[in-house]
Amino acid sequence: MLTGFSLNVEPGEALVLLGPNGSGKTTLLRAMGGLVRPVAGEISLDPQSVAFLGHADALKPSETVEQSLAFWARLYGGDLETLDQVMTEMALAHLARRTCGTLSAGQKRRTALARIALSNRSVWLLDEPAAPLDARSRERLARLVRQHCAAGGIVIAATHVDLGWAGARVEDLRPAPTKTAAGVG
Amino acid sequence: MSALGAIFTRELRLAFAGGGGPAGPAAFNLAALALAPLAIGPDADTLQAAGPGVIAFAALLATLQPAERIFSEDASDGTLELYALSPVGLALSLFMKTLAFILAVFWTTPLLAFIGGLAYGMDVGSAFVLALGLAFAAPGLAFIAAFAGALAAGLKRAGLLIALIAAPLQVPLLVFAAGAGRAAMDGTGLEGPNLMMALAGSLAALALAPFGAAAALKARLE
Repeated sequence: MLTGFSLNVEPGEALVLLGPNGSGKTTLLRAMGGLVRPVAGEISLDPQSVAFLGHADALKPSETVEQSLAFWARLYGGDLETLDQVMTEMALAHLARRTCGTLSAGQKRRTALARIALSNRSVWLLDEPAAPLDARSRERLARLVRQHCAAGGIVIAATHVDLGWAGARVEDLRPAPTKTAAGVG
Repeated sequence: MSALGAIFTRELRLAFAGGGGPAGPAAFNLAALALAPLAIGPDADTLQAAGPGVIAFAALLATLQPAERIFSEDASDGTLELYALSPVGLALSLFMKTLAFILAVFWTTPLLAFIGGLAYGMDVGSAFVLALGLAFAAPGLAFIAAFAGALAAGLKRAGLLIALIAAPLQVPLLVFAAGAGRAAMDGTGLEGPNLMMALAGSLAALALAPFGAAAALKARLE
């Protein structure tokens, strides 16, 4: 799906993989996380440093927001003491006791992003992270990404729309004739 | 709480949530026990002789009933990816999940076997041995069903595939669990070896099935 592709991401950097549907963004992201083996080539990234956000939010309808976040934080060795703070930052505090099955698509996405923030992993792989988010939630996501990068973390996001992340590097995955790589800031 | 404990506790809670738990498989088991005599006939001696086999077979069918849903939701909602990337890994996560699911869903199996044994005319001692045999065999039966569920996760008509994959692998456990009850009833003294073989088969399934399930689901992720 992707050939002749090479990239290096440094700590503290946010990388946006921009491309239309079917351009290989999700496959590339999954390969980076060790979920898919590349047909050829090499990926130097320890899967144990990865927090992954896929198309699905991995939420159970019968579980509350707080239960879900606490479980994944515990499993990934995250800091449970920051649970309240992260929920507040993602505007989830008032939804803490709501079951995930009753949340809107945007609220589910915010919960999944909070799970990433609580994961204690240095590399965040985010697939279409902003798809169901409104403008304010997109700002919260951008703030979360800035904070993570400022702490030396890496964020790699696949998207088909401009995320508007100031300072992020954009890698364009559109077909070769129009392919460009540019920095935005 | 450890990571493994967290998975176990969560999966136990999820298995009971939303009207789940043992209700479906127990109802399936009971229905099979109640309907079989209609086909076998009313003769008490025949029913008593068929009892251990029918009861063990009903338990086997009950383990197949929920197998389709053990991993299908995790496969579609992104949970499998998160388990695969967790420090615990996919195989151990699935082991804890399946163990919790079995405890939540199949704790009624020995109880139903004991009650069924009495209803089919077995004496209390023989019914107890049969229930013990199924207590030993049920985890293995369920782990094999879970393995088949992993192979069929996300497929159309997965139930049929699960039955075709799991049933032949479950036969030894079925034979030894029923054999223990029959041996106790006939006084052959072979209930001990049958119980040990049921336990050994169950432990083998516990040791191997999670890795098979993890390999199947990992392949599905790719």
